[in-house]
Amino acid sequence: MEILNVSLTFLKVGVVAFGGGWSVVGLIKQEIVPHWMSADAFNSLIAIAQSTPGPIALNAATLVGWQKAGILGALAATFSVIAFPLLAMSLALAFSKYIPLKKDLADESLRSGSMAMILMTLWTLLPHTSLPMPWIFAFAAFGITAFTKINAVWVILGAGALNMLLGVLH
Amino acid sequence: MKTPAKAEGIAKTVSPTPWRIFLTLARIVSLTLGGGYAIVPAIGNAFEKQGWIKEEEFYRVFSRAQVFPGPIALTTSFLCSYRIAGARGAVAAVFGVVLPPFFALILVGGFISLYGDTELFKRFLHGAGAVVPGLVGSILWRTARNRKWSVRIVIEVVTLAVLLAVFPSSAFFILIGGIIVLYVGRLVWKS
Repeated sequence: MEILNVSLTFLKVGVVAFGGGWSVVGLIKQEIVPHWMSADAFNSLIAIAQSTPGPIALNAATLVGWQKAGILGALAATFSVIAFPLLAMSLALAFSKYIPLKKDLADESLRSGSMAMILMTLWTLLPHTSLPMPWIFAFAAFGITAFTKINAVWVILGAGALNMLLGVLH
Repeated sequence: MKTPAKAEGIAKTVSPTPWRIFLTLARIVSLTLGGGYAIVPAIGNAFEKQGWIKEEEFYRVFSRAQVFPGPIALTTSFLCSYRIAGARGAVAAVFGVVLPPFFALILVGGFISLYGDTELFKRFLHGAGAVVPGLVGSILWRTARNRKWSVRIVIEVVTLAVLLAVFPSSAFFILIGGIIVLYVGRLVWKS
């Protein structure tokens, strides 16, 4: 039953998975926090998804499925999240001659949709606390990744190591 | 990877069999950290180096891939492999992109279930998780900077974002409906 639940959720996420991993992360969060896991647990999970090779939306799906229903859950989530995109592409390849879609207009509409999704992602991920630490970490990460070419992976690993070090010093 | 052909600056041409496509993608995906937008250029590079596709054509496929939902690394590889090796190539691409991260995560997940309860590891995950809003902010910043802004686009993005924030449980329908409305709006009322 859990596996069916996981499959349906990620099938749904796959249908609107536009605009890169981060906008999809917001959707996944909307679906599973707080009834499947806490916001904190979800953020840690996303950090793992980002520091492991592979597309982040796919990794996030695999990890959520794994936590929820073991290895079969992981398989179900992974294949569910890509099921609709694969179907859509196959149909488009088969029928591309017959679709009178204006590509540039469709592109612009999708880009607006994807930006709105990234905005929503940001909104749902903002720390719900007045403690300074999460805000400092988030702003520092924004500064580094928005204005330098440093890979986000190093920011994630660095922040984890720094927080560990702070714990040891305490 | 240093082949004599590469040293001479000539693309080494091997035919793109499904198995070779699978291996090429699996190697790239399992070695590239940083998500889809880091993986795609690496794939373009590798496909071009093996003489499978020209760079301009690869990026034309890439921009088409963005029209579809799903991880951009997956959609780009799928469409590209279909073009160079047909349906079997496309199937090989799916497995090449999906399997390596799957097994990597199972390993990482096993590690976490062993060490996840230690105080030190919890602190690590807590710190790593805290930077995520900042990363999303920077993606938003980079996307916004690379777009030609107009009043219409601001209205589109803000309206959709507010709807999503106010009715989060209907995000799915808001997006599907919203994208269709925007498309039809652009067809009917060209700014």
